Amino acid sequence: MATIKAAMPGVFYRRPAPEKPAYVDDGDAISAGQTIALIEVMKTFNEVKADESGTVAAFLVEDGDEVDVGQDIVRLEG
Amino acid sequence: MTDKIQLPPARYEYGGDEFVFVELDQAMSLEANFAGMAVTNALREEAIDGVVDICPSNASYMVQVDPDRIDPRDLVTELRRLEASVGTLPEDYVLKTRVVDVPVLFNDPWSHETLMRFRDRHQDPEATDLEYAARINGFDGMQGVIDAMTSAPWIVTMLGFVPGLPFCYQLVPRERQIQVPKYVRPRTDTPERTFGFGGAFAVVYPVRGAGGYQMFGMAPAPVFDLSQSLPDFAEDISFPKANDVLRYRAIDMAEFEATRAEVEAGTFRYRIREAEFEPAALLADPDAVNRELLEVLYR
Amino acid sequence: MNRLLVRAGGLYTTVQDTGRFGHYHMGMPPSGAMDIYSAVVANMLVGNADDAAVLEATYVGPKLEFTDDRLLAVTGADAPVTLNDEPVEPWTAVRVRPGDVLAFAMIRAGCRVYVAVSGGIDVPVYLDSRSTYTLTGMGGHEGRKLVDDETLQLAADGQATGSGGAVVPENLRPDLDCPAELRTVVGLCSYRLTEDALASFLGTEWKVTKDADRVGYRLRGGKLDFTEREQPFGAGSDPANVVDLGYPIGSIQVPGGDEPIVLLNDAVTGGGYATIGTVISVDRDRIAQAKTGESVRFRSVDLDTALAARRDRRERIEQVRQQLGR
Repeated sequence: MATIKAAMPGVFYRRPAPEKPAYVDDGDAISAGQTIALIEVMKTFNEVKADESGTVAAFLVEDGDEVDVGQDIVRLEG
Repeated sequence: MTDKIQLPPARYEYGGDEFVFVELDQAMSLEANFAGMAVTNALREEAIDGVVDICPSNASYMVQVDPDRIDPRDLVTELRRLEASVGTLPEDYVLKTRVVDVPVLFNDPWSHETLMRFRDRHQDPEATDLEYAARINGFDGMQGVIDAMTSAPWIVTMLGFVPGLPFCYQLVPRERQIQVPKYVRPRTDTPERTFGFGGAFAVVYPVRGAGGYQMFGMAPAPVFDLSQSLPDFAEDISFPKANDVLRYRAIDMAEFEATRAEVEAGTFRYRIREAEFEPAALLADPDAVNRELLEVLYR
Repeated sequence: MNRLLVRAGGLYTTVQDTGRFGHYHMGMPPSGAMDIYSAVVANMLVGNADDAAVLEATYVGPKLEFTDDRLLAVTGADAPVTLNDEPVEPWTAVRVRPGDVLAFAMIRAGCRVYVAVSGGIDVPVYLDSRSTYTLTGMGGHEGRKLVDDETLQLAADGQATGSGGAVVPENLRPDLDCPAELRTVVGLCSYRLTEDALASFLGTEWKVTKDADRVGYRLRGGKLDFTEREQPFGAGSDPANVVDLGYPIGSIQVPGGDEPIVLLNDAVTGGGYATIGTVISVDRDRIAQAKTGESVRFRSVDLDTALAARRDRRERIEQVRQQLGR
């Protein structure tokens, strides 16, 4: 099953700013290179990009959770 | 300063294998700063192999060593010897320094905008930093605290935090010193050239960044110039030097803008005068020495 | 020729050498490679001087294309390395040719990788060093981290003719096991902590927070109490406040009592928080490889142990030099 993994550790955010909507929701189609979340580390917010196209089955990490390098953050359908 | 401050025995500490830290007193005083100046000046003259850097601080100092060339314990032995021989400045010691006019626009719009963004990190969210400082120091309004800060000059007692930031201590008796706490939680932003105040120290922030000092104003002239385009920065990217005497002078918006234009044009020069004074005389009669220093500056 | 093409900059990749010294008194930290051992050994592998400029990459490595014949070595954190999509060994001198592309996969252990290229990264020397200090934008490559699609200059005298293959044996590669144990000389203003707090500091497994970079590492995991006192003149009213003083590199402060900060190569050089000890110089290499989310512990050691550890690291570096015949 395909997943998108965190390339760096830090704090995981699903939206670009607290008052903004989430980048993507469960069931959304995403394309390779699309920003799907942010990871904050070393005082910067870094975009998490999809490495391949697909459909989001589920987010495996809650907004505001700490993530580790290599951790699965999104499961893709199919 | 009428009651001369007796310093406790110096405390020698190892900051790992690469640093020696020497605390001259836990409290700030000119006596402690002058004692540090005496030892660090003497150490600098000895040019000991393995001493990488000598960093005088407010009431302490720090020496960075290369432990492959000098055992930090041997350095401490030498520092103790220096403390015994020159640890206090002799009565007739004359400090050669420069006196510099540093214009400041107090209660400026830029630091005001920033401080309003960080009210939730401040002791008194209802007041501005200057109003708060005036109140806790017993002044009627902010003009009182501005007058107090600009009436007597300051001495640079430490450089650091970030490159070129001068910590300045006012040359007045302790009972006339202004004191304010640092922010409850440090800010994540401070404009470049903000005039800040924390503990008993005034600073000018060299670069934009985090900071915990109260924000009172804005200097039109830089203290740090990486491009070295201004004549005062031809030799060094940082303008202030330890022991410099700075006079903070309150200016209005018109002078602020005129000075900014000079800085932008690359023509600005600080008003600098060579001066000398006896620290012992300063401790005995600060007002008299300050009058002379300001007279030299504006002669 | 003599150029290195940066196809992707990675997350935070900077040019670093062994540091810029003699300016701490005016507030300028040394910068330089955070993990000195890995940087020096990378240089040795490619035949550079120990203090030649290398690339230091945090978490996500860069993608680099070569334009001439060079030797290359990758050390530091454990991350899969590829050359033209084929795996190559880290801690090994690798011969590269024009058009070869170096890339990294996700790190498995550690935090920072070092990339040395024969000849060294030829950025201008600023105040006797090629190290980058991003706060003021000085040194290194334009005073900043690398970005995608730009070019770095390499020294002209680093053209390789021989083959690579020199390897650093496993026993001379650093240990990246977690939790990292950081040997610490307790002192400075440690009198500000209660006895219980000091014991708790040494007994706690501290977690590296997201605020961990070249300036310092902020940690979490316990609460330390300060002894009560009437604050000395000029210090400020918070119990963690002292009259502003110099901070050694590696020193530990505890603003608020609950989040210790270990200052590192791009440290703020002084300030008004009580310092309680200093991580020994050798173990800065170790904390440099601790990543956000991992744990570290502090172990109290005396100055003799700190100096012995430093001699030991130098001997290990000399062993590598002998093994490689440099």
